[in-house]
Parts: sequence; structure tokens; C-alpha cells
Amino acid sequence: MATHVVTMIPGEGTGPEICEAVRMVIDASGVDIKWEYEDIGLDCLEKHGTLLPEKTIQSIAKNKVALKGPTTTPIGTGHKSANVTLRKVFDLYANVRPVRLIPALKRPWDKLDIINFRENTEDSYAAIEHMVSDEVAQCLKVITWPGSYRIADFALKWARDNGRKKVYCVHKANIMKMTDGLFLEAFREAAKKYPDIETGDIIVDNCSMQLVRNPGQFDCLVLPNLYGDILTDLCAGLMGGLGFAPGANVGDNCAIFEAVHGSAPKYAGQKKVNPSAVLISGIMMLRWLGEKEAADRIEKAMYAVLEEGKTVTYDVGGTAKTDEYAKAIIDKMRKTAN
Amino acid sequence: MPTFTQDAIATKKKKQIELVGVDLYIITDKGIPQFADGEFGPFKCEFISNRGTKVWPGFVSPDLLMVNWYRCRFMATKPIKDHEVADFLVQLSKKWEWSAAQKLWNYDGEAGYSKAY
Repeated sequence: MATHVVTMIPGEGTGPEICEAVRMVIDASGVDIKWEYEDIGLDCLEKHGTLLPEKTIQSIAKNKVALKGPTTTPIGTGHKSANVTLRKVFDLYANVRPVRLIPALKRPWDKLDIINFRENTEDSYAAIEHMVSDEVAQCLKVITWPGSYRIADFALKWARDNGRKKVYCVHKANIMKMTDGLFLEAFREAAKKYPDIETGDIIVDNCSMQLVRNPGQFDCLVLPNLYGDILTDLCAGLMGGLGFAPGANVGDNCAIFEAVHGSAPKYAGQKKVNPSAVLISGIMMLRWLGEKEAADRIEKAMYAVLEEGKTVTYDVGGTAKTDEYAKAIIDKMRKTAN
Repeated sequence: MPTFTQDAIATKKKKQIELVGVDLYIITDKGIPQFADGEFGPFKCEFISNRGTKVWPGFVSPDLLMVNWYRCRFMATKPIKDHEVADFLVQLSKKWEWSAAQKLWNYDGEAGYSKAY
């Protein structure tokens, strides 16, 4: 019996080829994982009449951990995003998005090592929208005390468990005094449990400006859903783009690890897309599963392959295919082990 | 020369509006509200959501965080008028505390309200 059973959701577009490359690397690390493949997205809509089949939900519910490739969200149609639905169904309230300098990517920062904790289930993503007249659309921004407290508590605990020193709450409570005010108040309340962590707050517009001027000053950030959505992508840009930006959606009993980039359908089947974001998400997953040694081994090999620059994908100046890059990482792992 | 504001106002398009239901926000600490069939005449509860997540009908994760504020979508089972919404609210107020009601309209036949996840 495998040590771990993980639901693998390859997703759409370039997702399947990326996830196959990532599976090869993770399996080569020696971790004993049984993968359960499940579907999601637009293809499912055609096949099963839903973006998120019940079978996929049941697999995640059973295994409590999943690795997911990118999916496509239809814009301006009546269909709800499969990603958002997954977060809602499993109450994956914490979107964890770390960004750090990758040695091979030349960036203008001396230091970049931020963990963003985005509240993932409420705010203006509560899907409460109305046309309140034929000239006026309205969206309710829903911020709750327990929803705000638990993301703050989660972030502060993660920071403590991982040796981080500083957690700041990002908000716009100077204008949205009720909603963002409640988010900030809950953060301050949760912070009382962590006197060993330096805590503070920063207004979202100032935070944006500070991030692009001097990202090295930040350690961990806790954000409501909308600001988190925007600033985590900004942070991915600081790092070098979405191609290297991992993510995890975590609840009290379940976690889904996924890249944050899109499915790039125009490149589907060409095996040219960089799988690093899903691979780094997979590394996060291995650490979540307690497989720290394997995670470190993959990460080290990936950095080495990127540093050499010989077998890398087009977005970082190479010509390697997705699977060739994965095989180079596997070779590097094996050489290091020998 | 018209200003930008005048130009913007000139682009407004009138739409055909039809009243089709009510979103009602109920406050209760007693769990997901339940309504009997036919309890409110032509208004039938279609779904209930909490923090934007559908909690009735269908599967609800036992892990789901819920607060004491439920959006209850009541759709009309026949063409309705404003006074019927007022009557409905009077009836409902006898049993439930609510924070707000939002009428639901179709605009040129298209729903002017979002679904729940």
C-alpha cells in the first residue's frame, strides 16, 4: 500500500503535459505516492454537464490532498469557476502563495522571500451580485469575524512553525471601516496569541508601492480575498512571472496544491510550457505530507538545472520541451544521489 | 460640445424589467432556515447560501464555516407585483428576523442576479 494517496487533477490546455512531467519528477524522488487521476473544467462540462464532477469531489474528500494543473474559467457565461467551487466545497480558506528569488532568474532585488496568506472564501468573491436597477450593478463585499480570525490565526501559526518573524495585515480600513475594519480587528485579536511574532498592518495601496520599491522588507502578509488576488500576482511578477509561482489552497482538513497560472490552451500538446510552478506546488505538497527530504532534493535539482541553463524551457531562454526539462531534473537528482 | 458625462448618459439603454423573486437575508443562530412548501404563497425558496456558499439544497461540507446570516432566494412561481413582495415580507417577519431584502429582476429576459456556489 502506498504511503500517500493523492488526487491528481491534470486540468486543461497544457495542464496534462505539465502534470505528467511533475508526476515523473515526484515519483523519481522516491516518495511512495499512489496517484488518483480525476477531471475538472470545460472538458467535463461537455462530457458530464458540470465543470466539477462529483467523482472528483469524492476523491479529494477521501484523500484530503490533491495536486492540480491549470483550468480555464469561462468569462461572462453563467458557469461558475471550478476553482472557486472547489474552494467553497472544501472550505479551503487559506490561499498560501510563497514567492522567493530563484537563483537562475536574474531579478533586481537583493532579497525576496514573502509568504502571502490570502483569505480565500469571502470578500467580494461571495458571489452575491445584483443588477439593482437597469443602470446599477452591485456586489456585496462579505467580511466575517470568524472568516477573518481564522486566516489570521492560520498565517501566524504557519509563520511560527516555519521560523518566520513578521506578519503584516494588508487592508483598506481607512476607507472601508466596517469590512476591512473587521478584518484588521480580527487580525489584531489573533495576534495576541503570538507575542513572539512581530505583527503590524499596512494599507493596501501603500503595500503595493512598497512591494515594487523594496520587497525585501516584507516577510508574511495576510490579505482579504480581493487584495490577495491582486497582490499575489504582483509578487509573482517580482519573482519572475507566473511560470514559477506556486500555490496551495488549504482548509482545516484538506489541501489542494496548484500553480496559479492559466491553462495556455494555445500551447496545448506542444510540450513547450514551463512546468516549474506546478512542480514547486508539488514540492510544497511534499512538505505538507511530511516528505521534506524528497522536497528539498527536487528543489535543489531544479535550481541546479535552471542555473546551468542548458535544458530549460523557452520562457527562460532555452529550447527544452516540458518533459525534457523534467528528465534533466530527474538526472540531476540521480547524479546528486550517487 | 457634450461633456463626457453627457455622452455617458446618452448611452444609457432602457431594458424590459420583470420582477421574478426576492433575495432575503435572514439572521438566525438556529442553523439553516427551513420553510414549508407553500408557506409563502407564490414565493418558493430555491436555495440558501451562507458566505456565498450554497448550504441548501444539496451537499454541505461538515467543515464549512457558517455565520448567522443566510441568503435565502425566493423565486416567484407566477407573475408577481410589488404588493405581493410586501405581503410576503410581512408574513416572513412573523417567524424570522431579517437584515435586508433584494428584489430580483430579469432585464430583457436575462437574470439580473448571481447564482450561489
